[in-house]
Amino acid sequence: MVKKAHFITGKGGVGKSLISAVLARHLSQTPDHGSEQILLAELNEHSFFQDYLKLKKISYKPSKWVEDVDVSQWSPQDCLKEYALHLLKVETLYKLFFENPVSRSLIQVAPGLQELALLGKVTSSPRSHGPTMKYDQLVIDSFATGHFLSLFRAPAAMAEAIQFGPMGEQSRGIDKWIRDHDFARLHIVTLAEELPITETIELYQTLKKEFGLTAAVYLNKMTGLEKSDLAKLKPEVSEIMAGIIENERLAVKKLTDAKIKFIELPLISSLDPEVLISKLTEVFAAKKVHA
Amino acid sequence: MIQIAAQTKTLICIGTGGVGKTTMAASMGVGFASEGKKVLVLTIDPSKRLAQALGIKMDGDPHKVEIKKSKSGGELWACVVNHEKTFEYFIRHAASQFAEGKKVSEEKLAQLLDNKLYHQLSGRLSGSQEFTSLITLNRYVTSGEYDLVILDTPPSQHTWNFLRAPEKISALFNEGIAKWFREADSGRTSLFKKIVNAGTSQVLKALELLTGSQFIKELSAFFQAIQKWQKPLEEYILNCHRLLISAQTEFILVTALDPSRLSEAQKLSREIRTQGYKLTTVVINRIPAWLSTPVDTDSKRIKNLVTYYQSLEIDLQSRLAQFKTQLKVYKCYELRQNTEDVHSLQKNFDELVSLN
Repeated sequence: MVKKAHFITGKGGVGKSLISAVLARHLSQTPDHGSEQILLAELNEHSFFQDYLKLKKISYKPSKWVEDVDVSQWSPQDCLKEYALHLLKVETLYKLFFENPVSRSLIQVAPGLQELALLGKVTSSPRSHGPTMKYDQLVIDSFATGHFLSLFRAPAAMAEAIQFGPMGEQSRGIDKWIRDHDFARLHIVTLAEELPITETIELYQTLKKEFGLTAAVYLNKMTGLEKSDLAKLKPEVSEIMAGIIENERLAVKKLTDAKIKFIELPLISSLDPEVLISKLTEVFAAKKVHA
Repeated sequence: MIQIAAQTKTLICIGTGGVGKTTMAASMGVGFASEGKKVLVLTIDPSKRLAQALGIKMDGDPHKVEIKKSKSGGELWACVVNHEKTFEYFIRHAASQFAEGKKVSEEKLAQLLDNKLYHQLSGRLSGSQEFTSLITLNRYVTSGEYDLVILDTPPSQHTWNFLRAPEKISALFNEGIAKWFREADSGRTSLFKKIVNAGTSQVLKALELLTGSQFIKELSAFFQAIQKWQKPLEEYILNCHRLLISAQTEFILVTALDPSRLSEAQKLSREIRTQGYKLTTVVINRIPAWLSTPVDTDSKRIKNLVTYYQSLEIDLQSRLAQFKTQLKVYKCYELRQNTEDVHSLQKNFDELVSLN
């Protein structure tokens, strides 16, 4: 039974997938949770985790990544298929529907259906609707800012467009749970650069205003440089480093001014995913990240 | 500077989010305009800073951007794609093609434009962005008003969403689906047809069980409304697809100095070429300007940063050979923050370094 669903979002290229993996591992290791079962799910059409986590294969069916953490890749089509099979029960009817070229393309383009399928899967436990999942928490490596907002807005939009019937009812149910702070947790990853910071502040405020949710913010890849570090550097290098210091100072100031709490994550010099994940998991533990 | 083929009329910038595609598209706009071309840059979601720098208005129309040095005839225009307006343009355009000079029935148009699903499709929901930017591109390329149109593609994880947009959307206007729903709603089907359509009605039943009858009603209303313009709509979509594979269209892949971006770029460049799109160029963006300067320091934090960038550089070198065999590769140094204006975009373009 899934008790919490964590969504990780942010501007493209800020490190969403890496932080998702770190959070999944952190949650599985948090002592007061006992041994919680975590599912790390990616919504990418072409898998990121398969290569990154050096998995043999990634699919809709979860496979083991590390102790207590499984990983899978969710496509809207797979979510819908699983749900339809659960609901229609009759295999032939389901086949008739899903193996029909016309309905296949319809599913691809029908507005809102893909978003509902994904969020329907995420919220199936608290809604007691659909197949059961054996995990305690879900960590969902979600879309970048704009696309993420479309995803989250879809249930309310569909509930408005289709007021009656199962689709309307489901949309309202899904919408209710993604607004529930005890169930849905949002995490925004950002960098100390102008564009990601501006986007983060806007996204944070939009999520609060529209969904009543307070997102956790992670300021990734902080160099922690100080003016004293610049001694002895050549002027052209020193100037650029001073720019980094200024960007980090501004990022901290802008987030603080907007009254946004955030967690600073250090720049790790290694490029090896395994090293990155384990070092950042240590940082999460040391900072007692409570999600 | 970047070299493109003399015949090229369309440049499409592709790549994952956060690599600086929009800035690169704008830089190329400024650069080619200063070389004497009349250029239009189409962008999806410009940062406030870039919009201010170029004086872009968000009304969905092209606006002229003032650039200082320009050879005769060089002009820069910029336009932000407006999704709702574009969708309406698409429907109206198809309707007027169909009417062949006669007046378009406003009533029929209104029926479609008021449909709830049409609203979802043209508005907030994902997937339609790719399509509207493609329509906008096709519109301005075929207008013949510009020597070069540069498109900054939507920030989707993969370019595939963009390239598949015509295929996906044409499924929506596909006669097969439309027929289904029109007949489901008409209720005037003969007994014989009913038997033939038993499979179809089973499918509709399943769909109704999943979604409810109101959804089906909206769907059939939608398909009834577009029925008339099916052909011109399909034709338009086909033209959009033709534009993507035209010999006068070049794709430029923008990526950044980061192992996972670079490996995605490698995969993408392989696949995109095998599918027949004309990818000619890769730009490796956001390379720190001091990377080539040796750094002597006692500071642990600086050492950490230097190690990080050195590993990035080594990683890049190991991948360059593959890119270079088939593509022109350029590197672009990180643009200093706070200085995004026409002048710095020009500088950015001028300083692109060829690695071939």
